Amino acid sequence: MHTVSRVLPLLLAALAIAYPWAVPNYYLVYAGALTVMYAAMSTSWNLLGGFTGYVSLGHSAFFGLGAYGTGLLVVRLGVPWAVALLVSALLVTVFAVGVGIAAVRVRGASFVIVSLALVSMMNLVVQGWRSLTGGSTGLQVPSPFPGLHRGQTHIVFFYLFLALLALALLSWWYVSRSRFGAGLRAIREDEDKAESLGVPTAAYKVAAFALSALFVALAGGLYALWFGSLDPIFVFSILIASFMVLMSLLGGVRHLYGPLLGALIVAPAGEYFLIALGETQIHLTATGLVLVLVVLFMPDGILARFTRRRAGPSIPDESAGQRLQGVTR
Amino acid sequence: MSLRTEGLTKAFGGVLAVNGATVELRDGAVNGLIGPNGSGKTTFFNIVTGLVRPDSGRVLYRDRDITRHAPHRIAHAGIGRTFQLCRIFPRLTVLENMLVAVRRTRLRELLAGLRDKGEVERARHWLRRMGIEHLEDAEARDLSYGQQKLLELAAVLMAEPDLVLLDEPAGGVNPALIDRIAALVRELNAEGRTFLVVEHNMDMVMGMCDHVIVFDRGAPIAAGPPALIRQDPRVLEAYLGV
Repeated sequence: MHTVSRVLPLLLAALAIAYPWAVPNYYLVYAGALTVMYAAMSTSWNLLGGFTGYVSLGHSAFFGLGAYGTGLLVVRLGVPWAVALLVSALLVTVFAVGVGIAAVRVRGASFVIVSLALVSMMNLVVQGWRSLTGGSTGLQVPSPFPGLHRGQTHIVFFYLFLALLALALLSWWYVSRSRFGAGLRAIREDEDKAESLGVPTAAYKVAAFALSALFVALAGGLYALWFGSLDPIFVFSILIASFMVLMSLLGGVRHLYGPLLGALIVAPAGEYFLIALGETQIHLTATGLVLVLVVLFMPDGILARFTRRRAGPSIPDESAGQRLQGVTR
Repeated sequence: MSLRTEGLTKAFGGVLAVNGATVELRDGAVNGLIGPNGSGKTTFFNIVTGLVRPDSGRVLYRDRDITRHAPHRIAHAGIGRTFQLCRIFPRLTVLENMLVAVRRTRLRELLAGLRDKGEVERARHWLRRMGIEHLEDAEARDLSYGQQKLLELAAVLMAEPDLVLLDEPAGGVNPALIDRIAALVRELNAEGRTFLVVEHNMDMVMGMCDHVIVFDRGAPIAAGPPALIRQDPRVLEAYLGV
Protein backbone atom coordinates (compact mmCIF):
# COMPACT_ATOMS: atom_id res chain seq x y z
CA MET A 1 0.00 0.00 0.00
CA HIS A 2 2.82 2.37 0.99
CA THR A 3 4.70 1.54 -2.22
CA VAL A 4 1.58 2.29 -4.26
CA SER A 5 1.02 5.59 -2.49
CA ARG A 6 4.62 6.60 -3.15
CA VAL A 7 4.87 5.41 -6.74
CA LEU A 8 1.43 6.60 -7.86
CA PRO A 9 2.17 10.35 -7.59
CA LEU A 10 5.42 9.92 -9.49
CA LEU A 11 3.68 7.89 -12.18
CA LEU A 12 0.89 10.44 -12.48
CA ALA A 13 3.40 13.29 -12.62
CA ALA A 14 5.41 11.54 -15.37
CA LEU A 15 2.26 10.90 -17.39
CA ALA A 16 1.11 14.48 -16.97
CA ILE A 17 4.48 15.92 -18.00
CA ALA A 18 4.57 13.71 -21.08
CA TYR A 19 0.92 14.38 -22.03
CA PRO A 20 1.32 17.43 -24.34
CA TRP A 21 3.98 15.61 -26.36
CA ALA A 22 2.09 12.32 -26.46
CA VAL A 23 -1.21 13.57 -27.87
CA PRO A 24 -1.66 13.96 -31.64
CA ASN A 25 -3.03 17.52 -31.81
CA TYR A 26 -3.21 20.86 -30.04
CA TYR A 27 -6.92 20.52 -29.33
CA LEU A 28 -6.14 17.66 -26.96
CA VAL A 29 -3.45 19.80 -25.35
CA TYR A 30 -6.10 22.51 -24.88
CA ALA A 31 -8.55 19.97 -23.40
CA GLY A 32 -5.76 18.68 -21.15
CA ALA A 33 -4.93 22.19 -19.91
CA LEU A 34 -8.62 22.79 -19.19
CA THR A 35 -8.81 19.53 -17.26
CA VAL A 36 -5.71 20.33 -15.23
CA MET A 37 -7.09 23.82 -14.53
CA TYR A 38 -10.29 22.30 -13.14
CA ALA A 39 -8.27 19.71 -11.21
CA ALA A 40 -6.25 22.50 -9.59
CA MET A 41 -9.39 24.48 -8.78
CA SER A 42 -11.35 21.56 -7.36
CA THR A 43 -8.35 20.49 -5.26
CA SER A 44 -8.20 24.08 -3.99
CA TRP A 45 -11.95 24.10 -3.33
CA ASN A 46 -11.45 20.89 -1.40
CA LEU A 47 -9.14 22.69 1.04
CA LEU A 48 -12.34 24.20 2.40
CA GLY A 49 -15.10 21.83 1.28
CA GLY A 50 -13.28 18.59 1.93
CA PHE A 51 -11.78 19.45 5.28
CA THR A 52 -14.59 21.45 6.85
CA GLY A 53 -17.66 20.27 4.92
CA TYR A 54 -18.58 23.86 4.04
CA VAL A 55 -19.91 23.81 0.47
CA SER A 56 -18.95 27.08 -1.19
CA LEU A 57 -20.34 28.15 -4.54
CA GLY A 58 -18.64 31.48 -3.97
CA HIS A 59 -15.39 30.20 -5.40
CA SER A 60 -16.60 31.35 -8.81
CA ALA A 61 -16.17 34.85 -7.40
CA PHE A 62 -12.55 34.18 -6.48
CA PHE A 63 -11.92 32.74 -9.94
CA GLY A 64 -13.48 35.80 -11.59
CA LEU A 65 -11.73 38.27 -9.30
CA GLY A 66 -8.39 36.54 -9.88
CA ALA A 67 -8.98 36.73 -13.62
CA TYR A 68 -10.11 40.36 -13.66
CA GLY A 69 -7.47 41.41 -11.11
CA THR A 70 -4.68 39.96 -13.24
CA GLY A 71 -6.19 41.33 -16.45
CA LEU A 72 -6.69 44.83 -15.06
CA LEU A 73 -3.19 45.02 -13.59
CA VAL A 74 -1.71 44.02 -16.95
CA VAL A 75 -4.01 46.15 -19.14
CA ARG A 76 -4.54 49.28 -17.05
CA LEU A 77 -1.25 49.49 -15.12
CA GLY A 78 1.14 47.65 -17.41
CA VAL A 79 2.30 45.35 -14.62
CA PRO A 80 4.37 42.33 -15.80
CA TRP A 81 2.04 39.32 -16.08
CA ALA A 82 3.74 37.17 -13.43
CA VAL A 83 3.65 40.02 -10.90
CA ALA A 84 0.06 40.81 -11.82
CA LEU A 85 -0.88 37.17 -11.29
CA LEU A 86 0.64 37.03 -7.80
CA VAL A 87 -0.55 40.49 -6.67
CA SER A 88 -4.06 39.79 -7.88
CA ALA A 89 -4.17 36.43 -6.08
CA LEU A 90 -2.91 38.00 -2.86
CA LEU A 91 -5.50 40.77 -3.05
CA VAL A 92 -8.24 38.19 -3.61
CA THR A 93 -6.95 36.25 -0.60
CA VAL A 94 -7.17 39.36 1.59
CA PHE A 95 -10.68 39.93 0.24
CA ALA A 96 -11.51 36.29 1.00
CA VAL A 97 -10.42 36.79 4.63
CA GLY A 98 -12.92 39.64 4.93
CA VAL A 99 -15.67 37.67 3.22
CA GLY A 100 -14.81 34.57 5.22
CA ILE A 101 -15.11 36.35 8.56
CA ALA A 102 -18.69 37.22 7.67
CA ALA A 103 -19.60 34.08 5.72
CA VAL A 104 -18.44 31.33 8.06
CA ARG A 105 -20.65 32.63 10.84
CA VAL A 106 -23.44 30.63 9.22
CA ARG A 107 -23.49 26.93 8.48
CA GLY A 108 -25.09 24.46 6.08
CA ALA A 109 -27.56 25.76 3.52
CA SER A 110 -27.20 29.33 4.82
CA PHE A 111 -23.50 29.27 3.98
CA VAL A 112 -24.26 28.05 0.46
CA ILE A 113 -26.72 30.92 -0.02
CA VAL A 114 -24.22 33.49 1.29
CA SER A 115 -21.56 32.13 -1.07
CA LEU A 116 -24.01 32.31 -3.98
CA ALA A 117 -24.80 35.91 -3.13
CA LEU A 118 -21.09 36.73 -3.25
CA VAL A 119 -20.85 35.52 -6.86
CA SER A 120 -23.91 37.50 -7.93
CA MET A 121 -22.63 40.64 -6.23
CA MET A 122 -19.20 40.40 -7.83
CA ASN A 123 -20.78 39.77 -11.21
CA LEU A 124 -22.93 42.88 -10.85
CA VAL A 125 -20.02 45.00 -9.65
CA VAL A 126 -17.77 43.97 -12.56
CA GLN A 127 -20.54 44.43 -15.12
CA GLY A 128 -21.60 47.74 -13.63
CA TRP A 129 -18.11 49.26 -13.32
CA ARG A 130 -17.84 49.71 -17.07
CA SER A 131 -15.11 52.39 -17.01
CA LEU A 132 -12.70 50.04 -15.25
CA THR A 133 -13.66 46.54 -16.31
CA GLY A 134 -15.24 47.08 -19.70
CA GLY A 135 -18.61 46.02 -18.31
CA SER A 136 -20.56 43.34 -20.12
CA THR A 137 -18.40 43.69 -23.23
CA GLY A 138 -15.56 42.13 -21.28
CA LEU A 139 -11.83 42.74 -21.06
CA GLN A 140 -9.14 41.82 -23.56
CA VAL A 141 -5.84 40.73 -21.98
CA PRO A 142 -2.75 40.53 -24.20
CA SER A 143 -0.97 37.19 -24.39
CA PRO A 144 2.12 37.02 -22.18
CA PHE A 145 3.78 34.96 -24.89
CA PRO A 146 3.19 36.91 -28.12
CA GLY A 147 5.93 34.97 -29.93
CA LEU A 148 4.12 31.65 -29.56
CA HIS A 149 1.26 30.45 -31.72
CA ARG A 150 -2.00 29.34 -30.07
CA GLY A 151 -1.09 25.66 -29.85
CA GLN A 152 2.26 26.40 -28.20
CA THR A 153 0.48 28.69 -25.73
CA HIS A 154 -1.74 25.76 -24.76
CA ILE A 155 1.39 23.75 -23.94
CA VAL A 156 2.83 26.54 -21.78
CA PHE A 157 -0.43 26.97 -19.87
CA PHE A 158 -0.83 23.22 -19.52
CA TYR A 159 2.42 23.22 -17.53
CA LEU A 160 1.53 26.37 -15.58
CA PHE A 161 -1.76 24.80 -14.50
CA LEU A 162 0.08 21.58 -13.73
CA ALA A 163 2.44 23.50 -11.42
CA LEU A 164 -0.58 25.08 -9.73
CA LEU A 165 -2.19 21.66 -9.32
CA ALA A 166 1.03 20.32 -7.76
CA LEU A 167 1.07 23.26 -5.36
CA ALA A 168 -2.58 22.73 -4.42
CA LEU A 169 -2.05 18.99 -3.90
CA LEU A 170 1.03 19.65 -1.80
CA SER A 171 -0.87 22.15 0.33
CA TRP A 172 -3.78 19.72 0.85
CA TRP A 173 -1.35 16.97 1.78
CA TYR A 174 0.52 19.21 4.23
CA VAL A 175 -2.67 20.47 5.86
CA SER A 176 -4.06 16.94 6.12
CA ARG A 177 -1.01 15.89 8.13
CA SER A 178 -1.09 18.84 10.52
CA ARG A 179 -3.01 19.49 13.70
CA PHE A 180 -4.61 22.38 11.84
CA GLY A 181 -5.96 19.79 9.39
CA ALA A 182 -7.21 17.59 12.22
CA GLY A 183 -9.02 20.64 13.58
CA LEU A 184 -10.60 21.33 10.19
CA ARG A 185 -11.79 17.75 9.89
CA ALA A 186 -13.16 17.96 13.41
CA ILE A 187 -15.18 21.01 12.30
CA ARG A 188 -16.67 18.90 9.51
CA GLU A 189 -17.60 16.16 12.00
CA ASP A 190 -18.92 18.26 14.88
CA GLU A 191 -18.18 21.96 15.06
CA ASP A 192 -19.46 22.60 18.60
CA LYS A 193 -17.51 19.66 19.92
CA ALA A 194 -14.35 20.95 18.22
CA GLU A 195 -14.89 24.37 19.85
CA SER A 196 -15.27 22.77 23.25
CA LEU A 197 -11.89 21.08 22.76
CA GLY A 198 -10.25 24.46 22.26
CA VAL A 199 -10.31 24.65 18.46
CA PRO A 200 -10.86 28.27 17.37
CA THR A 201 -13.24 27.14 14.66
CA ALA A 202 -13.98 30.56 13.16
CA ALA A 203 -10.27 31.31 12.65
CA TYR A 204 -9.66 27.83 11.22
CA LYS A 205 -12.52 28.18 8.74
CA VAL A 206 -11.42 31.64 7.62
CA ALA A 207 -7.86 30.38 7.13
CA ALA A 208 -9.08 27.43 5.04
CA PHE A 209 -11.43 29.70 3.09
CA ALA A 210 -8.62 32.15 2.28
CA LEU A 211 -6.08 29.45 1.39
CA SER A 212 -8.62 27.84 -0.87
CA ALA A 213 -9.43 31.21 -2.49
CA LEU A 214 -5.72 31.89 -3.10
CA PHE A 215 -5.26 28.93 -5.44
CA VAL A 216 -8.59 29.49 -7.20
CA ALA A 217 -7.63 33.14 -7.78
CA LEU A 218 -4.29 31.99 -9.24
CA ALA A 219 -6.22 29.70 -11.58
CA GLY A 220 -8.45 32.62 -12.55
CA GLY A 221 -5.41 34.79 -13.27
CA LEU A 222 -3.81 32.10 -15.41
CA TYR A 223 -7.10 31.65 -17.23
CA ALA A 224 -7.18 35.38 -18.05
CA LEU A 225 -3.65 35.25 -19.44
CA TRP A 226 -4.39 32.06 -21.35
CA PHE A 227 -7.73 32.93 -22.94
CA GLY A 228 -7.06 36.66 -23.27
CA SER A 229 -10.73 37.50 -23.31
CA LEU A 230 -12.75 37.88 -20.13
CA ASP A 231 -16.51 37.69 -20.18
CA PRO A 232 -18.04 38.52 -16.78
CA ILE A 233 -21.02 36.24 -17.43
CA PHE A 234 -18.66 33.27 -17.78
CA VAL A 235 -15.95 33.99 -15.20
CA PHE A 236 -18.50 34.84 -12.50
CA SER A 237 -20.73 31.91 -13.42
CA ILE A 238 -22.05 29.64 -10.69
CA LEU A 239 -21.23 26.80 -13.07
CA ILE A 240 -17.51 27.13 -12.41
CA ALA A 241 -17.92 26.54 -8.68
CA SER A 242 -20.52 23.85 -9.40
CA PHE A 243 -17.90 21.99 -11.41
CA MET A 244 -15.46 22.27 -8.50
CA VAL A 245 -18.12 20.81 -6.19
CA LEU A 246 -19.09 18.06 -8.61
CA MET A 247 -15.50 17.01 -9.32
CA SER A 248 -14.63 16.93 -5.62
CA LEU A 249 -17.74 14.99 -4.64
CA LEU A 250 -17.38 12.55 -7.50
CA GLY A 251 -13.76 11.71 -6.77
CA GLY A 252 -14.11 11.91 -2.99
CA VAL A 253 -13.75 14.98 -0.80
CA ARG A 254 -11.87 13.13 1.91
CA HIS A 255 -9.04 12.11 -0.38
CA LEU A 256 -6.05 14.00 -1.69
CA TYR A 257 -6.61 12.74 -5.22
CA GLY A 258 -10.42 12.78 -5.10
CA PRO A 259 -10.96 16.14 -6.86
CA LEU A 260 -8.23 15.28 -9.37
CA LEU A 261 -9.99 12.04 -10.23
CA GLY A 262 -13.29 13.89 -10.49
CA ALA A 263 -11.75 16.46 -12.82
CA LEU A 264 -10.24 13.72 -14.99
CA ILE A 265 -13.76 12.34 -15.48
CA VAL A 266 -15.97 15.44 -15.61
CA ALA A 267 -13.84 17.86 -17.63
CA PRO A 268 -13.15 15.52 -20.59
CA ALA A 269 -16.79 14.38 -20.46
CA GLY A 270 -17.90 18.01 -20.69
CA GLU A 271 -15.64 18.58 -23.70
CA TYR A 272 -16.94 15.40 -25.32
CA PHE A 273 -20.57 16.47 -24.85
CA LEU A 274 -19.77 19.89 -26.24
CA ILE A 275 -18.29 18.35 -29.39
CA ALA A 276 -20.94 15.67 -29.73
CA LEU A 277 -23.95 17.86 -28.98
CA GLY A 278 -22.70 21.31 -29.92
CA GLU A 279 -23.24 24.53 -27.96
CA THR A 280 -26.48 23.33 -26.41
CA GLN A 281 -27.45 23.27 -22.75
CA ILE A 282 -27.67 19.47 -22.79
CA HIS A 283 -24.17 19.02 -21.42
CA LEU A 284 -25.17 21.17 -18.47
CA THR A 285 -28.23 19.02 -17.91
CA ALA A 286 -25.99 15.95 -18.00
CA THR A 287 -23.64 17.60 -15.48
CA GLY A 288 -26.55 18.40 -13.17
CA LEU A 289 -27.83 14.85 -13.44
CA VAL A 290 -24.41 13.42 -12.55
CA LEU A 291 -24.25 15.76 -9.53
CA VAL A 292 -27.64 14.56 -8.30
CA LEU A 293 -26.69 10.90 -8.78
CA VAL A 294 -23.39 11.37 -6.96
CA VAL A 295 -25.03 13.11 -4.00
CA LEU A 296 -27.75 10.45 -3.80
CA PHE A 297 -25.77 7.28 -4.34
CA MET A 298 -22.10 8.06 -3.82
CA PRO A 299 -21.86 10.99 -1.40
CA ASP A 300 -18.36 9.98 -0.35
CA GLY A 301 -17.10 9.66 -3.92
CA ILE A 302 -15.38 7.00 -5.96
CA LEU A 303 -12.18 6.74 -3.95
CA ALA A 304 -13.99 6.33 -0.64
CA ARG A 305 -16.01 3.49 -2.12
CA PHE A 306 -12.86 1.60 -3.01
CA THR A 307 -10.71 2.39 0.00
CA ARG A 308 -13.42 1.63 2.59
CA ARG A 309 -14.45 -1.60 0.88
CA ARG A 310 -10.86 -2.78 0.72
CA ALA A 311 -10.07 -1.82 4.28
CA GLY A 312 -13.39 -2.92 5.82
CA PRO A 313 -14.10 -1.94 9.41
CA SER A 314 -11.04 -0.34 10.91
CA ILE A 315 -10.82 -2.85 13.79
CA PRO A 316 -10.80 -6.09 11.81
CA ASP A 317 -8.78 -8.22 14.21
CA GLU A 318 -10.01 -7.03 17.56
CA SER A 319 -10.91 -9.91 19.81
CA ALA A 320 -13.98 -9.88 22.02
CA GLY A 321 -11.67 -9.48 25.00
CA GLN A 322 -9.96 -6.44 23.48
CA ARG A 323 -13.31 -4.96 22.53
CA LEU A 324 -14.29 -5.01 26.18
CA GLN A 325 -10.90 -3.74 27.31
CA GLY A 326 -11.26 -0.53 29.23
CA VAL A 327 -14.91 -1.28 29.75
CA THR A 328 -14.77 -4.19 32.15
CA ARG A 329 -11.43 -4.03 33.88
CA MET B 1 -12.73 29.34 43.98
CA SER B 2 -12.51 27.66 40.58
CA LEU B 3 -16.02 28.25 39.25
CA ARG B 4 -18.77 30.52 40.46
CA THR B 5 -21.92 31.64 38.70
CA GLU B 6 -24.01 34.61 39.73
CA GLY B 7 -27.68 34.92 38.86
CA LEU B 8 -27.49 33.04 35.57
CA THR B 9 -30.73 33.20 33.64
CA LYS B 10 -31.61 31.74 30.28
CA ALA B 11 -35.01 31.46 28.63
CA PHE B 12 -35.85 29.61 25.42
CA GLY B 13 -39.01 31.26 24.18
CA GLY B 14 -41.41 31.10 27.11
CA VAL B 15 -39.47 28.39 28.93
CA LEU B 16 -37.15 29.57 31.68
CA ALA B 17 -34.43 26.91 31.53
CA VAL B 18 -32.05 28.52 34.03
CA ASN B 19 -33.54 30.89 36.54
CA GLY B 20 -31.08 33.06 38.43
CA ALA B 21 -28.66 30.23 39.21
CA THR B 22 -25.96 31.17 41.69
CA VAL B 23 -23.61 28.23 42.14
CA GLU B 24 -20.21 27.75 43.73
CA LEU B 25 -18.15 24.67 43.09
CA ARG B 26 -15.92 23.17 45.71
CA ASP B 27 -12.38 23.48 44.43
CA GLY B 28 -10.48 20.21 44.04
CA ALA B 29 -13.61 18.15 44.66
CA VAL B 30 -15.92 15.96 42.65
CA ASN B 31 -19.08 18.05 42.51
CA GLY B 32 -22.34 16.44 41.50
CA LEU B 33 -25.18 18.30 39.82
CA ILE B 34 -28.50 16.52 40.07
CA GLY B 35 -32.11 17.39 39.46
CA PRO B 36 -35.21 16.18 37.69
CA ASN B 37 -35.37 16.15 33.90
CA GLY B 38 -35.79 19.67 32.56
CA SER B 39 -34.37 21.30 35.67
CA GLY B 40 -31.75 23.18 33.60
CA LYS B 41 -28.62 21.16 34.29
CA THR B 42 -27.48 20.78 30.69
CA THR B 43 -28.35 24.40 29.86
CA PHE B 44 -26.27 25.40 32.88
CA PHE B 45 -23.38 23.33 31.46
CA ASN B 46 -23.82 24.92 28.05
CA ILE B 47 -23.73 28.41 29.51
CA VAL B 48 -20.62 27.69 31.56
CA THR B 49 -18.81 26.30 28.51
CA GLY B 50 -19.92 29.10 26.20
CA LEU B 51 -22.19 27.13 23.88
CA VAL B 52 -25.23 29.07 25.07
CA ARG B 53 -25.22 32.75 26.02
CA PRO B 54 -27.14 33.63 29.16
CA ASP B 55 -29.78 36.35 29.16
CA SER B 56 -28.28 37.69 32.36
CA GLY B 57 -25.83 36.76 35.10
CA ARG B 58 -22.12 35.99 35.18
CA VAL B 59 -19.77 33.04 35.03
CA LEU B 60 -16.53 33.51 36.94
CA TYR B 61 -13.64 31.10 36.63
CA ARG B 62 -10.67 31.71 38.92
CA ASP B 63 -12.20 35.15 39.53
CA ARG B 64 -12.17 35.96 35.81
CA ASP B 65 -15.42 36.81 34.08
CA ILE B 66 -15.78 34.33 31.19
CA THR B 67 -19.50 34.86 30.62
CA ARG B 68 -19.43 35.73 26.94
CA HIS B 69 -16.19 34.08 25.94
CA ALA B 70 -16.18 31.77 22.91
CA PRO B 71 -16.15 28.06 23.83
CA HIS B 72 -12.57 27.59 22.63
CA ARG B 73 -11.37 30.41 24.90
CA ILE B 74 -13.15 28.81 27.82
CA ALA B 75 -11.42 25.53 26.95
CA HIS B 76 -8.07 27.37 26.87
CA ALA B 77 -8.89 28.83 30.29
CA GLY B 78 -8.93 25.27 31.61
CA ILE B 79 -12.53 24.03 31.43
CA GLY B 80 -13.23 20.81 29.53
CA ARG B 81 -16.51 19.02 29.02
CA THR B 82 -18.20 15.93 27.70
CA PHE B 83 -21.72 15.85 26.25
CA GLN B 84 -24.94 14.18 27.29
CA LEU B 85 -24.99 12.09 24.13
CA CYS B 86 -21.43 10.96 23.57
CA ARG B 87 -19.81 13.19 20.93
CA ILE B 88 -16.65 12.08 19.20
CA PHE B 89 -15.42 12.68 15.67
CA PRO B 90 -16.70 9.47 14.07
CA ARG B 91 -14.63 9.49 10.88
CA LEU B 92 -11.35 10.47 12.47
CA THR B 93 -9.13 7.80 13.94
CA VAL B 94 -8.91 7.45 17.69
CA LEU B 95 -5.47 9.08 17.68
CA GLU B 96 -6.69 11.96 15.48
CA ASN B 97 -9.60 12.46 17.87
CA MET B 98 -7.02 12.91 20.61
CA LEU B 99 -4.93 15.36 18.60
CA VAL B 100 -7.80 17.72 17.83
CA ALA B 101 -7.65 19.26 21.29
CA VAL B 102 -5.83 22.60 21.30
CA ARG B 103 -4.44 24.04 24.50
CA ARG B 104 -3.41 27.33 22.97
CA THR B 105 -3.43 28.80 19.49
CA ARG B 106 0.16 28.97 18.31
CA LEU B 107 0.90 28.77 14.62
CA ARG B 108 3.92 26.56 15.08
CA GLU B 109 1.91 24.03 17.05
CA LEU B 110 -0.98 24.10 14.61
CA LEU B 111 1.28 23.40 11.65
CA ALA B 112 3.12 20.68 13.51
CA GLY B 113 2.59 17.24 12.04
CA LEU B 114 0.03 14.87 13.48
CA ARG B 115 2.91 12.57 14.31
CA ASP B 116 4.58 15.13 16.59
CA LYS B 117 6.26 12.76 19.04
CA GLY B 118 5.52 14.62 22.26
CA GLU B 119 1.84 15.08 21.52
CA VAL B 120 1.38 11.54 20.24
CA GLU B 121 3.01 10.21 23.39
CA ARG B 122 0.69 12.33 25.52
CA ALA B 123 -2.30 11.03 23.53
CA ARG B 124 -1.16 7.45 24.03
CA HIS B 125 -0.75 8.08 27.74
CA TRP B 126 -4.43 9.02 28.05
CA LEU B 127 -5.56 6.21 25.77
CA ARG B 128 -3.61 3.78 27.93
CA ARG B 129 -5.28 5.10 31.06
CA MET B 130 -8.65 4.56 29.44
CA GLY B 131 -7.62 1.08 28.29
CA ILE B 132 -8.18 1.76 24.61
CA GLU B 133 -4.63 2.30 23.41
CA HIS B 134 -4.85 -0.69 21.05
CA LEU B 135 -7.51 1.17 19.06
CA GLU B 136 -5.48 4.26 18.15
CA ASP B 137 -5.62 3.61 14.39
CA ALA B 138 -9.28 2.62 14.33
CA GLU B 139 -11.92 5.02 13.10
CA ALA B 140 -13.85 6.27 16.10
CA ARG B 141 -17.18 5.22 14.57
CA ASP B 142 -16.07 1.59 14.74
CA LEU B 143 -15.70 1.68 18.52
CA SER B 144 -18.37 0.34 20.86
CA TYR B 145 -20.43 2.97 22.68
CA GLY B 146 -18.54 2.36 25.91
CA GLN B 147 -15.21 2.79 24.15
CA GLN B 148 -16.49 5.99 22.57
CA LYS B 149 -17.38 7.31 26.01
CA LEU B 150 -13.83 6.61 27.17
CA LEU B 151 -12.40 8.23 24.04
CA GLU B 152 -14.50 11.33 24.62
CA LEU B 153 -13.15 11.64 28.14
CA ALA B 154 -9.58 10.99 26.99
CA ALA B 155 -9.86 13.70 24.29
CA VAL B 156 -11.09 16.19 26.89
CA LEU B 157 -8.13 15.36 29.11
CA MET B 158 -5.72 16.00 26.22
CA ALA B 159 -6.56 19.69 26.56
CA GLU B 160 -5.33 19.49 30.19
CA PRO B 161 -8.36 21.03 31.87
CA ASP B 162 -8.34 21.89 35.56
CA LEU B 163 -12.11 21.68 35.71
CA VAL B 164 -13.90 18.84 33.91
CA LEU B 165 -17.65 18.92 33.31
CA LEU B 166 -19.16 15.50 32.66
CA ASP B 167 -22.70 15.41 31.33
CA GLU B 168 -24.29 12.08 32.24
CA PRO B 169 -21.16 9.90 32.03
CA ALA B 170 -23.19 6.83 32.99
CA GLY B 171 -25.86 7.40 30.35
CA GLY B 172 -26.34 4.37 28.10
CA VAL B 173 -23.39 2.35 29.40
CA ASN B 174 -23.19 -0.97 31.24
CA PRO B 175 -22.73 -1.23 35.02
CA ALA B 176 -19.12 -2.39 34.69
CA LEU B 177 -18.22 0.71 32.70
CA ILE B 178 -20.07 2.95 35.15
CA ASP B 179 -17.80 1.61 37.91
CA ARG B 180 -14.77 2.11 35.68
CA ILE B 181 -15.71 5.70 34.89
CA ALA B 182 -16.38 6.46 38.56
CA ALA B 183 -12.98 5.03 39.48
CA LEU B 184 -11.32 7.09 36.74
CA VAL B 185 -12.99 10.27 37.97
CA ARG B 186 -11.74 9.59 41.48
CA GLU B 187 -8.22 8.91 40.17
CA LEU B 188 -8.19 12.08 38.09
CA ASN B 189 -9.59 14.07 40.99
CA ALA B 190 -6.84 12.75 43.26
CA GLU B 191 -4.38 14.20 40.74
CA GLY B 192 -5.82 17.67 41.29
CA ARG B 193 -8.68 18.09 38.83
CA THR B 194 -12.02 19.49 39.89
CA PHE B 195 -15.11 17.79 38.49
CA LEU B 196 -18.70 18.81 37.97
CA VAL B 197 -20.81 15.79 37.08
CA VAL B 198 -24.41 15.85 35.90
CA GLU B 199 -25.85 12.41 36.48
CA HIS B 200 -29.16 10.63 37.06
CA ASN B 201 -27.58 7.48 38.45
CA MET B 202 -27.88 8.24 42.16
CA ASP B 203 -25.68 5.35 43.26
CA MET B 204 -22.88 6.75 41.13
CA VAL B 205 -23.41 10.32 42.32
CA MET B 206 -23.62 9.43 45.99
CA GLY B 207 -20.64 7.10 45.79
CA MET B 208 -18.38 9.33 43.73
CA CYS B 209 -19.14 12.95 44.67
CA ASP B 210 -17.84 14.97 47.60
CA HIS B 211 -20.37 17.72 47.14
CA VAL B 212 -23.78 17.66 45.51
CA ILE B 213 -25.79 20.56 44.11
CA VAL B 214 -29.48 19.99 43.42
CA PHE B 215 -31.26 21.89 40.67
CA ASP B 216 -34.98 22.35 40.33
CA ARG B 217 -36.72 24.65 37.85
CA GLY B 218 -33.47 26.21 36.73
CA ALA B 219 -31.93 27.08 40.07
CA PRO B 220 -30.13 25.33 42.94
CA ILE B 221 -32.39 24.34 45.81
CA ALA B 222 -29.81 22.54 47.94
CA ALA B 223 -26.08 21.89 48.15
CA GLY B 224 -23.92 19.82 50.47
CA PRO B 225 -22.38 16.43 51.14
CA PRO B 226 -24.20 13.44 49.61
CA ALA B 227 -25.34 12.07 52.96
CA LEU B 228 -27.18 15.29 53.79
CA ILE B 229 -28.56 15.79 50.32
CA ARG B 230 -30.07 12.31 50.38
CA GLN B 231 -32.25 13.33 53.32
CA ASP B 232 -33.01 16.91 52.37
CA PRO B 233 -36.82 17.34 52.22
CA ARG B 234 -36.56 19.88 49.37
CA VAL B 235 -34.68 17.34 47.31
CA LEU B 236 -37.17 14.59 48.07
CA GLU B 237 -39.99 16.90 47.09
CA ALA B 238 -38.32 17.92 43.82
CA TYR B 239 -37.59 14.32 42.87
CA LEU B 240 -40.53 12.44 44.32
CA GLY B 241 -43.13 15.14 44.85
CA VAL B 242 -43.44 14.21 48.55
